[in-house]
Amino acid sequence: MVWRKSLAALSLALAGLTVPVLAQTGTLEQVRQRGSLQCGVSTGLYGFSIQQDGKWAGFDVDFCRAVAAAVLGSPDRVSFVPLSAAERFEALKSGKIDILSRNSTWTLQREAELGLVFAAVLFHDGQGFMVRRSANITSALELGGKKVCVQAGTTSQNVARDYFAANAMQVEIKVFPDAPATLAGFAKGECEAMTTDNSGLFAERLKLEKPGDAVILPDIISKEPLGPVTRADDMRWHMVVKWVAFALINAEELGVSTKTLAAAAQSGKPDVRRLIGVEGGFGKMLGLQDDWARRAIEAVGNYAELYERNVGTGSRLGIPRGLNQLWSEGGILHAPPVR
Amino acid sequence: MRKPLLLAFLAGLAASTAFAQGRTPPPETMDIGDEPGRVSTPETVIEDGPFARQMVFFRSSEPPNTVVIHTSERFLYVVMGGNRALRYGIGVGREGFQWAGLQKVTRKAEWPDWTPPPEMIQRQPYLPRFMAGGPGNPMGARALYLGSTVYRIHGTNQPETIGQAISSGCFRLANGDVIDLFERVPVGAKVIIRHGPQV
Repeated sequence: MVWRKSLAALSLALAGLTVPVLAQTGTLEQVRQRGSLQCGVSTGLYGFSIQQDGKWAGFDVDFCRAVAAAVLGSPDRVSFVPLSAAERFEALKSGKIDILSRNSTWTLQREAELGLVFAAVLFHDGQGFMVRRSANITSALELGGKKVCVQAGTTSQNVARDYFAANAMQVEIKVFPDAPATLAGFAKGECEAMTTDNSGLFAERLKLEKPGDAVILPDIISKEPLGPVTRADDMRWHMVVKWVAFALINAEELGVSTKTLAAAAQSGKPDVRRLIGVEGGFGKMLGLQDDWARRAIEAVGNYAELYERNVGTGSRLGIPRGLNQLWSEGGILHAPPVR
Repeated sequence: MRKPLLLAFLAGLAASTAFAQGRTPPPETMDIGDEPGRVSTPETVIEDGPFARQMVFFRSSEPPNTVVIHTSERFLYVVMGGNRALRYGIGVGREGFQWAGLQKVTRKAEWPDWTPPPEMIQRQPYLPRFMAGGPGNPMGARALYLGSTVYRIHGTNQPETIGQAISSGCFRLANGDVIDLFERVPVGAKVIIRHGPQV
């Protein structure tokens, strides 16, 4: 009995010790103390994260800048950590990075087994098809009787097979050892179509001699929801990252952009006032300044600006918004409201 | 503290008034005037890059052949059904000349004549009062007339201006693209012009 009591007392004392220590070492506090955000990105993927003249640029890169602006007040307070696909999740788990913003697909295994949580879907990718413009094909359902080039050993191979089987189409799938060989096969006319993830198709198309001679069909036949990831043991930090993503989407929906921020401060609309922090005190609930979202928008723009600059009309990729258009404008992009 | 703030506010007010009257072109607008007489062939289409005509994913409850124009995006969509739309890159009205509304295509014309409306002549007195349709006409190869407004969806003899905000409120497509649109969209089709939300 005595030892049990003292054990209880000891564990109480330990608990008393560990609670403040844990609170002090939360990711938000660590980022604040460090004065910079450690952001894991891909080693080089045009449009998403790439080094240009010594400066990081891209969709995934800019999202980290938005988080840094919301948390630290400046988009420049980010250290980018380039990571290979193999090392990315371990880097996050070990605490080497605060956030993984590296075109990673949200799956059950990555959350339940790896102990990570995806904050939001910032880019709905999925498998698509590229065909020659001259073929006048407008839908994947017109590919019956044709040949399709695909890279060996990828999920794309199975997804394509399942899609054609489900639609009772006879399609010959031609397999190539790697991505360059697959594109070369398509370019040489060994197949009428080529398939991989949609964002990959737009990147591959740029490598063709005449990119304009190929078109990418609107059909998306699989789900590859991409977004930022944090550790599952720090929900407070997770919420910060999640709501920065939601803030950018809400900003587009409300018409708040880098061009309208000044006008937004004078707005009479409660939704706008809450978002940019002149009303409601929502920043404090997240442990941030009330102008958190305004700073994020100021840094990278709203979702439309972020998208168009990096992968849309402002980029050589020119990926149409498609699924990534707002839910109210023809896409499926949706964010819960700031209120 | 109050005075500079007030001054800044007044300056902002003055700037926005100037915008509305279209006297001060906003910095992002390229100052390209109309070039009547310059020839662009009917075959000219936007072939490459984001403004090339292409089929895109587009959820919509509007019936097929409805035209949806997103001014801020610089795109015109023709709803095709089945969650798809054919998307064209367009040039739109410059700042202060953008508008939103619901219209119908009331008339279609090939190689339309150009009679700049009086308010346009007032702003740009150097413009011709009338110009017969043809390859050098800024109206381009085809025009779709929107309701009883002075605005049209039309071609252009300046295809490099697609994607920009420089018109007086009309929507311009490359000649080859407006010919394609002309074939698809019948008189009576619904046209939804969206301007994006205002703060």
